[in-house]
Amino acid sequence: MNLAVRDIRHDLPRFLLTAIGLGLLLTVVLAMTGIYNGILLDAVALPDSMKTDLWIVQRDTRGPFAELSRVPWELEDRARAVPGVRGARAYVSHTIQRELPNGAPLRFTAVGLAWPQDRGQDLAIVEGRALNQAHYEILADRSLGLELGQRIPLGRETYTIVGITDGLIASGGDPVVFFTRHDAQVIQYDQPNEALRLEREARAARVSESELGRDPELVRFSGSQSALIPSLSPAPISAVMVDLISPEQRDAVVERFRGWRDVSVYTQEDQRQLILGGVVERTRKQIGLFRALLVVISTILMGLIIYTMTVDKLHSIALLKLLGARRSVIFGMILQEALLLGGISYGLAIVIGNNVFHLFPRRVIIGDDHRLWLLVIVVVISMLGSVLGIKKALAADPNEVLAG
Amino acid sequence: MTNNEPAVEAHGISKHYGEGNTYVRALAEASFRLEHGEVVALLGPSGSGKSTLLTILGLINPPDTGTLTIGGVPAITDGVIASNAGLIRRRELGFVFQRSNLIPFLTAEENVRLVLELDGVSRRQATRRARAMLDELGVADRRDHMPTQLSGGQQQRVAIARALVHEPALLLADEPTASLDRERGRQVMELFRSAAAERGAAVLVVTHDHRSLDLVHRTFEIEDGQLATDVAPLSGT
Repeated sequence: MNLAVRDIRHDLPRFLLTAIGLGLLLTVVLAMTGIYNGILLDAVALPDSMKTDLWIVQRDTRGPFAELSRVPWELEDRARAVPGVRGARAYVSHTIQRELPNGAPLRFTAVGLAWPQDRGQDLAIVEGRALNQAHYEILADRSLGLELGQRIPLGRETYTIVGITDGLIASGGDPVVFFTRHDAQVIQYDQPNEALRLEREARAARVSESELGRDPELVRFSGSQSALIPSLSPAPISAVMVDLISPEQRDAVVERFRGWRDVSVYTQEDQRQLILGGVVERTRKQIGLFRALLVVISTILMGLIIYTMTVDKLHSIALLKLLGARRSVIFGMILQEALLLGGISYGLAIVIGNNVFHLFPRRVIIGDDHRLWLLVIVVVISMLGSVLGIKKALAADPNEVLAG
Repeated sequence: MTNNEPAVEAHGISKHYGEGNTYVRALAEASFRLEHGEVVALLGPSGSGKSTLLTILGLINPPDTGTLTIGGVPAITDGVIASNAGLIRRRELGFVFQRSNLIPFLTAEENVRLVLELDGVSRRQATRRARAMLDELGVADRRDHMPTQLSGGQQQRVAIARALVHEPALLLADEPTASLDRERGRQVMELFRSAAAERGAAVLVVTHDHRSLDLVHRTFEIEDGQLATDVAPLSGT
């Protein structure tokens, strides 16, 4: 006869309510694990998606993901000329926070693709297509919540979503939107007309006050568009991605770039470590500690619940002892109840997780190994939790039954 | 259990509580025999030592000195309870209390079956024997009811079924009729008599209720720890 099952059956609603409460707590533990995994995956999703071998960034910075990096636009051409390099692409990125015409907030990380060789064809496009033209087309991540074909006004232009990607999140958690590099920079450096006019007039004024101002043609020319002035370089880019002819040449190429005094070079793995060790390290520790705290709380709660359940049937336990029940029968009953409570709570947490976590704004990633770990934790805390109850049961005195 | 051995044999059972000024002799050199099929009433005022004797016979508390044999099995030797006390309680002892003391989360049948299953009897056989016992005690139709769904008398019958189902050598009953009216009280005592006669168990009934003493074979009296076992049998034996 299974005494645990019969005791539970006796007050099933109470047991189920307790299991639901504990299950919700375990759901939070599971969610924390999933959020933790999501943060790690999201953090490296963007550099991984760029599928390159080396990153050349501003000297002594750890850009472009862990910190800001700015390198001159022509670095792309310099890199391309190095032996062992198959190709080089400019990388630009910046964060944009605007509002849609309907007032909805719009925040994302804009990444510029090296059109025309990179049209986003290697990205995880789940709907639509890659970029087909040099301007006004974009690829948006699904988590942004926008639809294929939707038109978004940014700066002076309107951009159309031609492709939807999946799982491309910047390390800060913002969805990534891919433009051509030119469009991304146009949006980044877009200025109001008045600001442009003031800037040109200020430039012309500086030239006229200098020795160069003796030439009226030069003064007139200096007040024209920046792009028409050869001495003004185009806007800087964030980094240059370098693709190698073969992996064996990596060390030699890296050594070559290290000899350049204006840049630093990182491998793809270096970038992953920079992000995981820097950008998300504190978040990772924070969530890890919170998760540990939740496990401790769950253990204490489980202990209290089992203790209360044991106290409630202390008279029955004393009676069982009087009837000659072995200790193993009594311990088994308490332990089985704890394990059943833990098991049902665990099952509930898994079911809730499977049905709710996809609604979270950031990715919550739960693998089979994480489910297994939670099960192990639940079994352990169930056993630990039953210790208090078993201690109480040990103290149950058959005399109490005789005393009435 | 063998027929030529008494159901219970106690020699020199003594017990005291406290020391110095708080010293109380709860039981003094109690010696007695209970035969198979015998129903004995244990009478005495509060604090006389009835409960002490009951807990010693139930192998719950050890005496200071003395020897006890139940169903031919040594249960206490020189004041020390046998290491297999649990086994002796499962096989040789049955308990009935003033309150029915049924386990609240088990049905009537499960409460009776429990005693057998605790001793390793198969579920099938335990069910058969439990149902037969409940039938014998007239509560077979209540076997699937929880204790709270039974009347006081029905609960007491189920408790008696639980105490007898494993055919113990000694049934200890502590004020079993205290919460029952006269008619039901007598019914319970009659049950003890017939159970003792049919199953060969010795029954020791602690009671203040003198209304049913005509149904017992012998009467023990205890006062200040002194047990008198030579009280004359009452009529009707």
